[in-house]
Amino acid sequence: MRHACALRSVDDPLHVNYSDKNTNREDRLATVELTNISKCFGRTAVIDGLSMSLNPNEFMVFLGPSGCGKSTLLRMIAGLETVDSGEIRIGGRRVDHLPPGERGVAMVFQHYALYPHMTIRDNMAFGLRNVGVARDEIAARVAAAARSLEIEHLLERRPGQLSGGQRQRAAIARAIVKQPQVFLFDEPLSNLDASLRVRTRVELAGLHQRLGTTMIFVTHDQVEAMTLADRIVVLNDCRIEQVGTPMDIYLRPATSFVAGFVGSPRINLLPVRIEAAAEGLARATLPDGTLVQTAVPTAALPQGDTTVGLRAEHVRIASEGAAARGTARVVERLGERTLVHVELKGGAMLVAEDAGLSTVRAGDEVGLSIDGARAHLFDAAGRGHHAAG
Amino acid sequence: MTRPALSGRVAVALVVVGAVLMLVPLLWVLALSLKSNAELMADTHSVFNGRYTLQNYADLVGDGQVFRWIANSLIVSLGMTAGVLILSSLAGYGFARLEFPGRRLLFVIVLFGLAVPEQAVIIARHQLFSWAELHNTHGALILPGLSAPFGVFLMTQYFRAIPKEIDEAALLDNASRFTIFWKLLLPLTIPAQATLGIFTFLSAWNDYWWPLISATNKEMFTLTVGIASTQMNFAQTEGLGFLMAQAVFAGLPILIVYLLFQKYIVQAVAGAAGR
Repeated sequence: MRHACALRSVDDPLHVNYSDKNTNREDRLATVELTNISKCFGRTAVIDGLSMSLNPNEFMVFLGPSGCGKSTLLRMIAGLETVDSGEIRIGGRRVDHLPPGERGVAMVFQHYALYPHMTIRDNMAFGLRNVGVARDEIAARVAAAARSLEIEHLLERRPGQLSGGQRQRAAIARAIVKQPQVFLFDEPLSNLDASLRVRTRVELAGLHQRLGTTMIFVTHDQVEAMTLADRIVVLNDCRIEQVGTPMDIYLRPATSFVAGFVGSPRINLLPVRIEAAAEGLARATLPDGTLVQTAVPTAALPQGDTTVGLRAEHVRIASEGAAARGTARVVERLGERTLVHVELKGGAMLVAEDAGLSTVRAGDEVGLSIDGARAHLFDAAGRGHHAAG
Repeated sequence: MTRPALSGRVAVALVVVGAVLMLVPLLWVLALSLKSNAELMADTHSVFNGRYTLQNYADLVGDGQVFRWIANSLIVSLGMTAGVLILSSLAGYGFARLEFPGRRLLFVIVLFGLAVPEQAVIIARHQLFSWAELHNTHGALILPGLSAPFGVFLMTQYFRAIPKEIDEAALLDNASRFTIFWKLLLPLTIPAQATLGIFTFLSAWNDYWWPLISATNKEMFTLTVGIASTQMNFAQTEGLGFLMAQAVFAGLPILIVYLLFQKYIVQAVAGAAGR
C-alpha cells in the first residue's frame, strides 16, 4: 500500500471522543467485500456477478467510462440502490439488507448534495443529530472537521454563499464528522475547475493518510485514479476488466480496453502479424512492414488476430537507426515533451514522443525508434500478454 | 439614443399607461367612498369637488354585520389556504418521490381535474353537501376548495426539481422519510408554497359563486356575498358611497396580502411566463 496507515494520536485534529457504534478506531479499519453482486435495471444488467474485496485503509478507485456501472456499484455499497443478488460486507458485517444510514458509510456526492437552507454547521451536524449524538460531541466533531478542512470561517454560511471548491470541502467535512468505516466518493472533483481539481486531489490524498479510513472513489478520470489509488478497479460494460495497483494497470494492462483507457496519450493499438523469433519471444510485423521484436513469450499467445500496444513514450522520434519511417501529421507541443502523430506507410497512425524542444513540423518525414521490449500484445479476445517478469 | 434604451423607455411608458388604467377605477371607488350618499345621488361628478367625509366608513364600522362577513371570509380563506398547502405538499411529495403502483395513472387523473369547470359539478356538489347537512357551515365553504389539482401539479413539479441527491444524502445521514420531507424538502419548497398560498387565499377571498349557493344564512355570508346582498335594486343611487366604502374595506386584506408577498407573486407570474 502506498499510503502509510496513519494511526490516530491525541493531537490529531480529528481526535475526539467517539461514542456511537461505528467510531472505534478498530471498527474503522474496515474491509469491504462484494460477493457475486448483480444488478439489473429492467432487463438491462448493469453489474453482473461481480466480486472483489477492499483491504482496511485502502484507497480504491473505480475507474471506467460513463455507463460502465461504477456509480451503480458505489451506490449499492452505500445502500442507495438495491442489490438483486449477492452479498456486501463491511467490516465483516453483512450490510446489503440494511438502510444506508446503518451501513457505517459516508458519501461525498458529485453535486455536493449539501442541504441548501441549512448553514454548513447544520449540514455537518444533521446526521449526528439524527442518531442522537450528544450536543457537545457534535460541536467538537464539527469544529475538528472544519479545522481539518480549513472551513471554520464558513460554518455559519449557507451552501449558496460558497464557491464550488468550498462546497466540496464542506461536503467532505460533512462526511468526516460521521466518522464512518468507509468513505464513498462519487466523482467529487468533476465539478471543479482544473487547478482546483488538482489541489483538491492532493488534499484528498492527504486526508486519506490522516484519517486512515477505507475509501472508495469513483471517477472516469484516469489521472485522478492513478494519483489517488492504492488499487484501481477498471470497469467496462458492467464487469471488472482489471484490479491492480496504478502501475500494474499501466504497465501490465489485462485487456486492450484497459490499455486504451489508461494512459495519456492513448496507447497505440495496431493490428500485427506474429511470428516466433529467438528465445521463444514474439516478433510483430506492423501494417507498414516494420518489425518489432517484443519480449512477450509466444508460448502463451493464442493463434488468431493480434494487436500490439505501444505507448507513446516507447515510440521515439529518431534521426538515426530508425526502425520505421512515416510522415508527421500533427505536432502537439506540451512543454516538457512533444507528441507527434505519425502516419505510417499504408495509412496506420502512431503517436510518438519527442523532446520538448522538438524541431519536427507537420508534414516532415520522420524516423521512429520503437522499444519493442515494452510492447504489449493483445489476442483476439482482447486479453493482454506482456513481457515475462 | 441607443435602440435598447429607446425600447426600454417605450416599455416603461406602456407599463405606466397600463398602471394608470388599472388604478383609475380603484381611485374612483376610493373617491366615491369618501362622498356622502346624498351628494352622489344628485350627481357622481361631485366627486371632483365639494366636501369629503368618512361617514360611510363610520357607518360601516357601526354595522357589525360586515365584521361577521370579514371574519367568515378570513376563516374560509385561511382554512382553504392551509388545507391546500398541506394536501398539495403531501400529494406533490408522494407523486415526486414515492414509488407506488398506479402513480402515473393517479397523477393523470389529478391533472384531469384541471379541465373540469366548477359549473360542471356544482349541482352534484350542492346535493352532496345537502345530504351531508353541511350547507351554512365554514366546512362547506372550505372543503370544495381543497380539491386543488393545480396545487398538486405545482408542488409535484417543484419537488421533482429538487435533486434526489438531497434525499440520498439524508438517507445516509440516518434521516427518516418524514424527516426528509419535513426538515429538508418542505423548506426548499417555500417559494412554491408562498405562490400557491397567495393564489389560493386570493381566489378564496374573491370567491362568490359557491358561497352564494351554499351560504343562505346571512350569518354565514362571506364578504363578497354579503356586500352583494346589500345592493338593492337602486343601490347605485341610494347608497353608492356606503357601497364603495364596503368595497374598499373588502379590498384591504387583498392589498395587505399583495404588499406582504409582492415578491412571491411577481416570481410566480414571471415563472409562469418563462415556462
